[in-house]
Amino acid sequence: MEEIKSFRDLIREVVETGICGKCGGCVSFCSAGELDALEMGENELPRYINEDNCLKCGICYLICPQTDTLNVELQEKFGWNPSIGNYQKVISAQTTDKKIKKICTDGGVVTSLLIYLLERNLINGAIVSKKTGRFARKAIIARTREGLIEAAGSTFSGSLHLEELGGKYTTYTPILSTVKSLEKRYLQDIAVVGTPCQINAIRKMQCLGIIPAHLIKYTIGLFCIENFSFNDVARERLEKKLDINLENIVKLNIKDDFIITLTKGVTIHVPLEEIDEVARPACFACQDFSNEYADISVGGLGSPNEYTTVLIRTELGSSVYDEALRKGYIQERTFEDGEESKLEKTKMMAKIVSYSRRKKMRAKERLSELGGGETIGGKA
Amino acid sequence: MEEKPKAVLIVGGGIAGIQAALDLGDMGIKVHLVERKPSIGGRMAQLDKTFPTNDCSICILAPKLADCFRHPNITLHTLSEVKEVMGQMGDFSVKLRKYARFVDEKKCVNCGDCAAKCPVKVPDEFDMELRKREAIYPYYLQGVPAVMTIDRENCLYLTREVCRICEKFCTREAIDFEQKDTDVMLNVGAIIVATGFDPYDPSGIPQYGYKRYRNVIISLEYERLICASGPTGGHLLRPSDDKPAEKIAFVQCVGSRDFKNNPYCSSVCCMHAIKEAILAYEHDPKVKSYIFYMDLRATGKGFQEYVARGEQEYNISYIRGRVAKITKDHDENPTVWYEETQSSKTKKMTTDLAVLATSLMPRRGVKELAKTLGVELDEYNFFKTDPFNPLDTTRPGIFVCGCCREPTDIPESVAQASGAAERAAETVMR
Repeated sequence: MEEIKSFRDLIREVVETGICGKCGGCVSFCSAGELDALEMGENELPRYINEDNCLKCGICYLICPQTDTLNVELQEKFGWNPSIGNYQKVISAQTTDKKIKKICTDGGVVTSLLIYLLERNLINGAIVSKKTGRFARKAIIARTREGLIEAAGSTFSGSLHLEELGGKYTTYTPILSTVKSLEKRYLQDIAVVGTPCQINAIRKMQCLGIIPAHLIKYTIGLFCIENFSFNDVARERLEKKLDINLENIVKLNIKDDFIITLTKGVTIHVPLEEIDEVARPACFACQDFSNEYADISVGGLGSPNEYTTVLIRTELGSSVYDEALRKGYIQERTFEDGEESKLEKTKMMAKIVSYSRRKKMRAKERLSELGGGETIGGKA
Repeated sequence: MEEKPKAVLIVGGGIAGIQAALDLGDMGIKVHLVERKPSIGGRMAQLDKTFPTNDCSICILAPKLADCFRHPNITLHTLSEVKEVMGQMGDFSVKLRKYARFVDEKKCVNCGDCAAKCPVKVPDEFDMELRKREAIYPYYLQGVPAVMTIDRENCLYLTREVCRICEKFCTREAIDFEQKDTDVMLNVGAIIVATGFDPYDPSGIPQYGYKRYRNVIISLEYERLICASGPTGGHLLRPSDDKPAEKIAFVQCVGSRDFKNNPYCSSVCCMHAIKEAILAYEHDPKVKSYIFYMDLRATGKGFQEYVARGEQEYNISYIRGRVAKITKDHDENPTVWYEETQSSKTKKMTTDLAVLATSLMPRRGVKELAKTLGVELDEYNFFKTDPFNPLDTTRPGIFVCGCCREPTDIPESVAQASGAAERAAETVMR
């Protein structure tokens, strides 16, 4: 029988080639199952805790966003089509909550959608990342409105969403005493906000029907050019280059370029190419800008300030958005007339498509540099 | 009589099939009991209590399951289906397809170590999809045979050749991925069909909001919710927010006595609604139940008294009126709209939970089975019988009992099962 590809192969094909996106999918699976073979190590890369614990089940290999064994199945399951994946419509929207408006990156739609889901009991919690320092984030499961608001606003540094879920969730339920404890809910639903690689790993897990992704009911995907690793060296270089003190940054955003808002209300626009050096190298091998497998994808690109571009993809995403809109958690950008609205939407789509193309091209180049062909795994 | 009587095949391992098997076995007749699911027990095993005595359903069923398993004259064929029937009364040749369990029944001790490690989570059929189970699982806690089963549709090894985690954690070496489906030929003198029912899917009546409103559930789901071994550990927590349900609407005749769906009366729903309302009160005396009915049909022994007790002792109000629609408010509370026929007024009532008494229908796949058996079904796909031979199908030597004949409560199913067993015994001992 053919040897099953396992974490050894992931190390060789993904980690060592520098295309690991640090989504934490492999570790989340391994720790959720209490198999305890993997952990997130230095530089936030996955590694063996103890290789002897590895059962060589091969699941971590399948669910890695950088391997392609499940890609066809994923595409079929989500009705993916070329360019930017399946979608129903695109809109500019913003939160109606003043407090959120103040602290959010774009229009605060994500935080508002999550609050809607939480307040309507459609979820028990949401996995979001929370600032722990100016550039550091930590994934948390927010279970209250306050917890969500604390997590609003982005810093573009990676957060290990999935690992957090893996650790919080444990599968161990003694089967012959299925009588569950009172505290444990019999229906658990979680929403996740994540980058394309994180959502991709979740969807692959859902394709297989495995833990811990079975808890994830809603996925909100962020548009993503790249994330940055703000380690000391990179920070120093960036500070020099832009001639600013990074300590003075109050907000980071990416739209057409990298937008840095400083304490005194000064805004600097930096072309994306110029900050490539602090981008995580793995991001250059990623083909997904618009978060093609999320229920709803969001980002600043294409919308004016204080608005979020919302790309509604799945039926589930559509029902959540419509209800949140109806219940007044969010509001849509208004236009003079239908013509203008149509024009703006076309512009938004054009931008999303063009960014998606650029990211795909970049990934192809990067992957062919690595000599692995366009993809890793299965067919490569 | 020198020659040994031929064996009897029983199709369906619910309470009717089990009772028929035990009766025949006790008469000294060999029985092959065939069940499609991984364990016998059927619908009765899913119920929390039974009316009109409020006995714990599994407590009175489990001894019968064990008896069937140990009976020297009964052979259980679980995960099996009848594929072909040839011959005639007194001499049937039956081809049985036995599906691989991928677990060695002799080695597995049902410890659950495998399931604790299985990474797959899929909706659990036995618990009416109110919780998730693993791809290797016990069909239900008290199921017989008490062994694990691998679900071939969802097992990652059987579908994708990865994983095999269960195998690594099974200390008994009971996991056997080499098992194959096999066909077995049986020679029997008579056949008893006892395939039971499926509940009607009320999504066909969109105005009741089933599947769209989370606090509108069907009665079988309610049974699992209030059952101590169910997904909530027996706490009647409504699906939307896990809050205890204190005001419950029971909506009768959902899909039954309805010319758009099933024109027939499903016969058991009046009683099971009262039982379910009584159980809710027994769990929490704050509970107030309303049963919306057209006619309360309480035609069995002790049933009318049960109806009266419900009203007098268990805080149940009976409201005569058919529910027109159910809507929901901000907090997912179902609002029931109805015409109260005693005052001829249209009214509405907001409750915590609405329970739909769904019609009993023949099991899916019954047409195929009838074709295999060479017997006729009636206009509603129940097995056809005639009033003077109520347990005989249209083919000699094939008999029928329980809910596949018509909607029938447990005592009646058991009585019919004994009757069918006697009819079959008469055939094979001739």
